[in-house]
Amino acid sequence: MTLSEIGQARVHGYLFVLRQSLKTFLPPETVSDAVREIESHLRERVDAAAPVPDERAALEKILNELGPPLRVAQAYSAERTIDEAVTTGRFVPILRAIWQLAVTTIAGFFTALGLFVGYITSFAFLALAALKPIFPNNVGVQYVRGYPVGLGAHFPLSPDTDLRGGYWVIPIAVFCGLGILVGTQRGARAFLRRWRERHRS
Amino acid sequence: MSHDTWQEQLRRGTLDLAILLTVSEGPRYGLAIIQHLDAFTDLVVTEGTIYPILGRLTREGLLEAEWVEGEASHPRKYYRLTRLGAKRLADMKGAWRAFAEKIDRLVDAADLARAARRGNT
Repeated sequence: MTLSEIGQARVHGYLFVLRQSLKTFLPPETVSDAVREIESHLRERVDAAAPVPDERAALEKILNELGPPLRVAQAYSAERTIDEAVTTGRFVPILRAIWQLAVTTIAGFFTALGLFVGYITSFAFLALAALKPIFPNNVGVQYVRGYPVGLGAHFPLSPDTDLRGGYWVIPIAVFCGLGILVGTQRGARAFLRRWRERHRS
Repeated sequence: MSHDTWQEQLRRGTLDLAILLTVSEGPRYGLAIIQHLDAFTDLVVTEGTIYPILGRLTREGLLEAEWVEGEASHPRKYYRLTRLGAKRLADMKGAWRAFAEKIDRLVDAADLARAARRGNT
């Protein structure tokens, strides 16, 4: 089958969407190679198809069998970015994989939002532990008019704020920070493992 | 776990072995691998998702890939098994045969026990 201009445009459109999706998480040379391979697959299928009056239906059948470009991109993601994150369990690959899902899927976005809160909270606790020895009078439990309202660092202290808490704040902050960090990291890894299983081929 | 989920997991778990077996017969390009798998199995559900697996197997050093031009109106990317891939395939084949044999024995034993129970009643 020889494609008309409209058919060619449909193929280019498919490859464009695939390229844009892959670009969000793969290096440029890998994207070019992947798109070239998918294009080769499409050309091969089109060449092998017998000429038919309804070119559009024949082309859509070929594209359907190949799979929607986003589905193909997700399979690349599952095999590469997410695979690396799940198998190594390292912080940076996990963050990269979560980011990639957050910018391409709705479920990924909301999961990333939850994990982001976990990471920020853990870093906040660890930052408190680090700041306490440097600014002992600015880090502790904040009391306003006799009521505790929060734990944190305050620069400068407002006149009606009473800051309490000795160096015992440090082990508690370290314990909470590391606990939340490990929990968030395990949650992220479990989410990515489930995602990979669902989107692999 | 539903029956569909179990079958899906089985399919995914055996896809690497099926691809390595397909390429072990000689270098093949993506579509030829898919067509070969289609001829013998129903492992390929979405054609486009086979390519990322080929990419991973290449990154793991089990396959090597090479673009070939001039053979058709468009270039084709051929995959061939590496020495490491051949070794892994031999291990996988052995593990698969042993696994299948054990499950077969288990299925046969269950069938025999059921038949014996029916005979007694």
